[in-house]
Amino acid sequence: MARRYDSRTTIFSPEGRLYQVEYAMEAISHAGTALGILGTDGVVLAAEKKVASKLLEQTASSEKVYQLSDHACCAVAGITADANTLINYSRLEAQKYLFTYDEPIPVEQLVQRLCDLKQGYTQYGGLRPFGVSFLYAGYDEHFGFQLYHSDPSGNYSGWKATCIGANSSNAQSILKQDYKEEMGLKEAKSLAIKVLSKTMDTTNMGSDKLEFATLHRSSGGKVIYKLYKPHEIEELLKEEGLLNQATERQDL
Amino acid sequence: MEALFGIVGKDFVVTASDRTSARSIVIMKHGEDKSRELNKHTLMLYTGEAGDTVQFAEYIQRNIQLYGIRNGIPLSVHATANFTRRELAESLRSRNPYHVSVLIAGTDPKTGKPELYWLDYLGAMVKMNFAAHGYASYFCMSTMDRYWKEDLSVEEAISLLKKCIAELKTRFIAQLPEFMVKVVDKNGVREIQL
Amino acid sequence: MSIMEYNGSAIMAMKGKNCVAIAADRRFGVQLMTLSTDFQKIFPVTEKVYLGLPGLATDVQTLAERFRFKVNMYKLREERDISPKTFAHMVSSTLYERRFGPFFCEPVIAGLEKDGTPFICSMDLLGCINHAKDFVVSGTASNQMYGTAEGLWEPELEPEDLFETISQAMLSAVDRDASSGWGVIVHVITPEKVITRTLKARMD
Repeated sequence: MARRYDSRTTIFSPEGRLYQVEYAMEAISHAGTALGILGTDGVVLAAEKKVASKLLEQTASSEKVYQLSDHACCAVAGITADANTLINYSRLEAQKYLFTYDEPIPVEQLVQRLCDLKQGYTQYGGLRPFGVSFLYAGYDEHFGFQLYHSDPSGNYSGWKATCIGANSSNAQSILKQDYKEEMGLKEAKSLAIKVLSKTMDTTNMGSDKLEFATLHRSSGGKVIYKLYKPHEIEELLKEEGLLNQATERQDL
Repeated sequence: MEALFGIVGKDFVVTASDRTSARSIVIMKHGEDKSRELNKHTLMLYTGEAGDTVQFAEYIQRNIQLYGIRNGIPLSVHATANFTRRELAESLRSRNPYHVSVLIAGTDPKTGKPELYWLDYLGAMVKMNFAAHGYASYFCMSTMDRYWKEDLSVEEAISLLKKCIAELKTRFIAQLPEFMVKVVDKNGVREIQL
Repeated sequence: MSIMEYNGSAIMAMKGKNCVAIAADRRFGVQLMTLSTDFQKIFPVTEKVYLGLPGLATDVQTLAERFRFKVNMYKLREERDISPKTFAHMVSSTLYERRFGPFFCEPVIAGLEKDGTPFICSMDLLGCINHAKDFVVSGTASNQMYGTAEGLWEPELEPEDLFETISQAMLSAVDRDASSGWGVIVHVITPEKVITRTLKARMD
């Protein structure tokens, strides 16, 4: 019965649902976890990389966390191929805004523009929606540091801390418990590591399974996007006392 | 023959535009207002080809208003000036370009700093402390060079403006009997009688 | 009067020993009337590449914005800085795109390659690249700059000597051009840092 309303994305089912959009969201709940935490002086994005095989060549660039402009970045959960076109789109939108106004695009407007595109694919026929959710971290002079989440339907919302992908409800509840108002970037970083260590299906935490990025401001006021290199992630894990078990297991 | 002025003060910008609307040698109208309020803290003065001017000014005005409604944040003066510059520069290479020169005066909604931008019809944009458009600039830039200083009060800026208008009265062949003077500060735009 | 002389400008770049320098005047005017004396004509592209844009002011500003757009996209896509040689070809093709309705601007590019090799070049308004082993000039004072640079430049100049050479060449050249001058800005790009200084010229 359901299949009658599956063939096209733009058809409502009798219960008033859009199945293709819901399936797209389902696709995301199997993807590697990505979480974001908003601190007073910066934002953290962290993501779990699913390593398919030992034989797979590790790419130098990241596959879950991307820079969108000088003042915004995002983490991805879902179909990476879909994400690539969307990331390119939002990079272009950010540059177009800078081109017309000579000012960086306010973060919410960047999110909004991407969501307008995503929404289009839930309404106009013949195409499937994008199977990606995003977490956006950004800074603008209007609202300071911000964290947003968007899903395939084109809905978006602002968060203090949130999580997408596999096991996200689990991570969400830990975040809810441990998130403190007025949390600094440093505390946000360790909370991010802590949550991931509890929700990742492996106990074997290592830089090969994690991606980590922060957005903060230099003393001069410049927004700095920092993507952590493998050895920096190892260091973070070490600080949280999570590295030992990882190395031990490798030794075995 | 038309004249526009802008003078930056301590926390405001004084602007003036002549009020005549002329075709060839005939004055068609007295009491023209050659300015548009773009948003609460930004004013645009315009001069140039008749017909293009109001059309262009209101096009910009409505786009800036639309931005405010869409995004709930007013556009800064710098962004407004840059948007206007882009429109002029793009129009320059279109089938029929706008022939409009503008001054954009305003106070930054965040810092309250006064800003004045000079733009010509080609789309060149310069931030200035004092500016003029039209033949008036040949007469009055030197006057303002001599008397402008930082942190002018409204009274001082008005008196400088009066010097410029007096210069036009004595040396400029065309008569510009009346000026509309406006002040833009953190409270918005208000008209001043000379 | 040609459209290239409408606003007035003078820009030059020079090669030194493991360093390059680029300098521009600071005047913005409309024909003979000077309106601004702090007009930006040199734009940083990366930490090691600078772009000088002499010519019609509206196109100077439009091109600066277009290249910022393109270079930002390049950097996000490639996850590295653009090299001066690559950037020169980006500028060239951007200009040639408008072969039959050109931007009235003849750019100058100066920078250091990844291995530290100095790179300078100039271009005509259609994007034809001109490489040089010593110096390149562009703008309304180009005739004067050819003379002064030809007389002062010598090979293998150290950063401070290069700064002195380009400064004197610029100051002498713009003094003999009515459309440019009102101060000069000089950037010397070395592997370690960029030295930026503004000079006072004849202010009339």
